[in-house]
Amino acid sequence: MNTLPNVDLPVVGELAGAALAAARSESPLAQALRRLRKSKTALFGGVIAVALVVVAIFADVLAPYSPTASDQRHTFEAPSRAYPLGTDQLGRDMLSRLIHGSRISLAVGVASVLLALFVGVPLGLVAGFYGGRLDAGIMRLMDLVLAFPIYLLAIILMVIFTPTAGLIGTIKVVGAIAIVRIPIYARLVRGSVLSIKEKEYIEACRALGVGDRSILFHHVLPNSLAPIIVTTTLGIATSIIVEATLSFLGLGTQPPTPSWGWDLKANVAFIHQNPWLALFPGLAIFVTVLGFNLFGDGLRDALDPRMK
Amino acid sequence: MRIYILRRLAEAVPTILMITLVVFVMMRSIPGDPVVALLGDAFTEEDAAKVRNEYGLDKPILVQYGLWLAKLAQGDWGTSILSGRPVLKDVLVRLPVTLELIVLSMAVALAIAIPAAIIGALRQNTWADYSATTIAMIGVSIPEFFAGVLLLLVFSVALHGTLPSSGWVYLPGTCPMLVCTGSVWANMMHVVMPAVALGIGRAALLTRLLRASMLEVIRTEYITTARAKGLAEKPVVLKHALKNALIPTVTVMGLQVGFLIGGAIVVEALFAMPGLGSFGIDAIIARDYQQVQGFALITAFAFVVINLIVDLTYSLLDPRIRYA
Repeated sequence: MNTLPNVDLPVVGELAGAALAAARSESPLAQALRRLRKSKTALFGGVIAVALVVVAIFADVLAPYSPTASDQRHTFEAPSRAYPLGTDQLGRDMLSRLIHGSRISLAVGVASVLLALFVGVPLGLVAGFYGGRLDAGIMRLMDLVLAFPIYLLAIILMVIFTPTAGLIGTIKVVGAIAIVRIPIYARLVRGSVLSIKEKEYIEACRALGVGDRSILFHHVLPNSLAPIIVTTTLGIATSIIVEATLSFLGLGTQPPTPSWGWDLKANVAFIHQNPWLALFPGLAIFVTVLGFNLFGDGLRDALDPRMK
Repeated sequence: MRIYILRRLAEAVPTILMITLVVFVMMRSIPGDPVVALLGDAFTEEDAAKVRNEYGLDKPILVQYGLWLAKLAQGDWGTSILSGRPVLKDVLVRLPVTLELIVLSMAVALAIAIPAAIIGALRQNTWADYSATTIAMIGVSIPEFFAGVLLLLVFSVALHGTLPSSGWVYLPGTCPMLVCTGSVWANMMHVVMPAVALGIGRAALLTRLLRASMLEVIRTEYITTARAKGLAEKPVVLKHALKNALIPTVTVMGLQVGFLIGGAIVVEALFAMPGLGSFGIDAIIARDYQQVQGFALITAFAFVVINLIVDLTYSLLDPRIRYA
């Protein structure tokens, strides 16, 4: 005869409860954060990203000169104490231009990814969850965008929007890059929704009579967050490169708004006489992209240790 | 196999048509038209109407697209509005330049990625692995044009013009002019910096990917078996492990072609190369509709062909994959 061992049932309950509490004390998120903190490269990337945000916010205070004020008496000056990174052909201080240029890079990098996220994620959710014709329609449209080489599409979009300076010019660049990146999120989210919606806990939700919207936003979306977060961080790095490339081709935010890609292009012409002028804007782009890449990479390892 | 290739090419026709149609409609939605660029500022409305009629620009967009397709079916890619030259002729002159750039940049990428990934995977978590992965991370973060600028700074500025900073020397046989000094050596001198600039980012990406799949493959049982039966390390790594680890890498290489075409636009602009990239961007900016269509067509076609090559490479790497 099968009998329970001779123990007090309340004790068993207590033990199980303690074990549960111990397991609960470290949620998957807390575990991920712990792993992230241990990664030196991710921290290094995070520090670069945060430092850049600070520079961009306080650009007016940090920059020693105006980024657009030209000084004909001080053109093409080599780096010196007065001009730590030298001056360009119009006598503008390179350091001040780089400090102000960080605003465009970061604003476009972050805003375009967020915009793509807010359009792409719902599209992917709906396509994956409802399937059928809606799914086919949305995904064919996304495939069409993906069939283009991304630079080609971004370039054509920028020509259609006609590049301008200032805030409007920046919004145009954000829009062009966001459109190119929407399908990436739609596909990603659709893929995880397709696998999640077959899980038993979703079936349980349905059996309990939970509505579609609640299932989508309270159960499906939170469970597909990890890849979205990683793609977003790494996507900022890619968007910053695309922005710099558009500016380099003369199709980004127009002067007088300072932009790293534009500065690099403008100064390549003088590379033999004043090599530092082309070097510094390029370095700025590189360090920024490296920062977001390192952080995104560390985040991926932290959220999904199997991928390491 | 031949039937498979033909079927794949036939299946690609709708994709190519779709891409060219979208580009066609998008280009015509850009404010302004090429007539202004062609006639200059001082022209009468009558002149403009005449030119528009000559190029069929006064017809509805879909009719224009239909006319373009009809001509294309006869092998006529149209005439550039700005240069007046046949688009197909220009595409054929510029294609070898971009093709050479892309193929060599892929070769650069593989030449760096394969040894780096093998070292990284075999000596996992040693200093050799860490330096390979760190360099790869740095490579991923360098945009093509900055890699190009760095190369220019070293080879053209610091080393006083060891390598030419711009221009092009055609390979013998690809030169468009009647009198032409095609030279393999001079061509190589011109292509090496652009190819490295374009290849270095791909090298970094492929290193990371190949290292990860090598790590996976090297722990499988057939590798243990190969070692257990006394096979030397070299054939184990190169024949058994690398060949299988290459399959995902080939897929990603195929996906990277879109980036390479975009990268070619940038690198060609930086090094003043007469390739398809500069052909395309000049046309887009000048709203030279016919030339843009030619560029979109050849790009879409390249996409399809490269994806086909990627699929065919699978069966070379893994004989279990067969296409009938």
